[in-house]
Amino acid sequence: MLKFLKQVGDYAKESFQAAKYIGQGLSVTFDHMRRRPVTVQYPYEKIIPSERYRGRIHFEFDKCIACEVCVRVCPINLPVVDWEFNKAQKKKQLNHYSIDFGVCIFCGNCVEYCPTNCLSMTEEYELSAYDRHELNYDNVALGRLPEKVTLDPMVTPLREFAYLPKGVMEPHDLPKGAQRAGKRPEDILEDLKQDKAAAAPVSDDKA
Amino acid sequence: MESGIDLQSSAIQLLVDLGLPSALAKVLWLPLPMALMLVVATVGVLIAVWLERKISAAVQQRYGPEYAGPLGVLQPVADGLKLLFKEDIVPDRADPWLFTIGPAIVVIPVFLSYLIVPFGQNLVVTDLGIGAFLWISLSSVTPIGLLMSGYSSNNKYALIGGLRAAAQSISYEIPLALSVLAIVMMSNSLSTIDIVNQQADHGILGWNIWRQPVGFIIFWISALAETERLPFDLPEAEEELVAGYQTEYTGMKFALFYLGSYVNLILSALLFSVFYLGGWSFPIPVNTLAAWIGVSPDVAWVQVITAAIGITMVLVKTYALVFLAILLRWTTPRVRIDQLLNLGWKFLLPVSLANLLITAGLKLAFPVAFGG
Amino acid sequence: MTLAEGTQLVSFGVLTLTTIVAALGVVLLENIVYSAFLLGGVFISIAGMYLLLNADFVAAAQILVYVGAVNVLILFAIMLVNKREPLAPLKNAWVRQGLTALVCLGLFALLGTVAITTSWNVLPEAPVVGDTALRLGEHFFSDFLLPFELASVLLLIAMIGAIVLARREFIPDARTGDGDPNLIFRLPERPRDPVAPEPLEPISK
Ligand code: SF4
Ligand code: SF4
Repeated sequence: MLKFLKQVGDYAKESFQAAKYIGQGLSVTFDHMRRRPVTVQYPYEKIIPSERYRGRIHFEFDKCIACEVCVRVCPINLPVVDWEFNKAQKKKQLNHYSIDFGVCIFCGNCVEYCPTNCLSMTEEYELSAYDRHELNYDNVALGRLPEKVTLDPMVTPLREFAYLPKGVMEPHDLPKGAQRAGKRPEDILEDLKQDKAAAAPVSDDKA
Repeated sequence: MESGIDLQSSAIQLLVDLGLPSALAKVLWLPLPMALMLVVATVGVLIAVWLERKISAAVQQRYGPEYAGPLGVLQPVADGLKLLFKEDIVPDRADPWLFTIGPAIVVIPVFLSYLIVPFGQNLVVTDLGIGAFLWISLSSVTPIGLLMSGYSSNNKYALIGGLRAAAQSISYEIPLALSVLAIVMMSNSLSTIDIVNQQADHGILGWNIWRQPVGFIIFWISALAETERLPFDLPEAEEELVAGYQTEYTGMKFALFYLGSYVNLILSALLFSVFYLGGWSFPIPVNTLAAWIGVSPDVAWVQVITAAIGITMVLVKTYALVFLAILLRWTTPRVRIDQLLNLGWKFLLPVSLANLLITAGLKLAFPVAFGG
Repeated sequence: MTLAEGTQLVSFGVLTLTTIVAALGVVLLENIVYSAFLLGGVFISIAGMYLLLNADFVAAAQILVYVGAVNVLILFAIMLVNKREPLAPLKNAWVRQGLTALVCLGLFALLGTVAITTSWNVLPEAPVVGDTALRLGEHFFSDFLLPFELASVLLLIAMIGAIVLARREFIPDARTGDGDPNLIFRLPERPRDPVAPEPLEPISK
């Protein structure tokens, strides 16, 4: 009998505990309702991609020497380099170049290793298409310059979290000229110069 | 008991005064409350859908619908229109008859149950003697429709979803009925009007929620399970079953399921407020308020205000409960099917039985407080 | 004829028609699932009949118990045991069917004659009972006490039986040590063939 009562008591205790936890959870969700949304309303507002954003690849046809390094370093041998040997010039001549962005993983290896720097990563990320073959960009499509978010009159550009001033969480309605937290590259350069200048007199004496 | 305004007799009287025979006047009156109830239920669904989207968004720190109308209030209308104009597809190997009848069988009982929902002393379609029982028996028809649509879709997810839905609503009907039975025992009547009147005496202190502290929790849990709201939404668990019994449905048939689930949610919230939160009664009895101000509660304009307050109170209570349901949706994780059945049969059923027994005992011991 | 009587007559006609057609469908249709759903239709139209007789509580109980519980259980059983077996056409099926039809018609004729020849104590007007639930309760606890209690005892027995069946251990505790590696778990009513791993044959060319 006692054992049974104890069982019932334990069960009741567990039920109360469960109810308490549900109550705690409810208070958390309720608390979340007062927080302001930080949503970026996408087609009307867009985040400015960061400097090292690895988006769609830009390709400069005239610089390419058809060395196929990009193909070799690509994890999936993706770039298609169509060239011919021009006997007169004794040079490889590039006919077509294409990258299929439906397959590319945007690792940036090709950009890194291209000896003539004819590949570069852009900030473009809107690569939706009705047909996956439309994502296979040829050298013309690859040569198009990316559209900048900041230059689009329809779009309100918003800064990314790391580019907000110290303590600010919301990219909307920033005061004009608000700087991001930490030093900017120009400032760092400036500081470096000053450090050098401070250290300079010693070396100047010797010279 | 104050009678409040009686729309039916005054409207019929008006028609008779206009020179119509009284039988014809009654016939003319008959469809009006029903049509009004249909409209109320549908508009209620639109509001509930909008609330669901907005509150869910707020909980997840999003904006929710914004562009369709001010604050996105027209979004549910847009959804409905979209579903209306979508192509109505019947899968190739499905059973076209059962596939078509299924959603109707799910929706019709829910709408029928609105017959017994009171918004005031006389603001109810019919004051049936078996009120609460009608709701319980009608809601037991729904699983047939679910099984039908699950079976006829000829899809394993749909079948499993239908079976789960039926199992769930069968097992949670019993605790639901038992907790309603405890209420009925206290008010000595199955009629929803009597149940509210029995709570009306002492304002907020007289509400059944104080007399049935266990019962209302059981009722709420079972009502959530009956309406397949989130902790118990495993008939349509997206991650495992695609969309359960709705998987193969599009267009108007899917809209029927969608409508049915929200109408059901609002119905449960309405009946919760009727059974436990004093229905249309204000936290302080309106008669007491009128006595304070020094007007008789029988004056016509006081009656109108009373009725208005009554309707507002019912709606406020209902939508507060809908809000709670939405908040619970984003708080609690989905239970597994075995946990669901365990909770239903091994926890809620014994507890609700004990609750019934204790209520009966208390009724015998303290007939004043528990309705002699 | 007043409007109410006309409505009653029409509803009675419709309900009778649906009852008969659905009942015939239950018996005659080949697809067992259709039969089960039509059975639900029969139950609902019977509930409508009760409503016409001013028995609203009985009608609701009919829907709750027969449609909501019995019919759903039947459907469950059908859908869980969804084994499509090609039924071999019976030899001389018409003999059996004829016999069945004969028996059914005989029963029908018998009941029909009984219904017609008995002088029923028909009240000229349906008595209006105020609160049906109240009257039912009074009868249950006075003159129908014994049948009521017997029915409840029957239900209790059924419930205990169900619990005993459900609580039977499906898998015996596999004790460590004395476990028989070839132990097979099975229920007496569902014998299973031992599925022993086939001895691997050495692959030879
Ligand atoms: S690595 Fe650069 S230069 Fe060489 S083929 Fe690729 S794109 Fe052309
Ligand atoms: S980004 Fe990476 S995956 Fe894409 S083409 Fe260049 S190397 Fe290949």
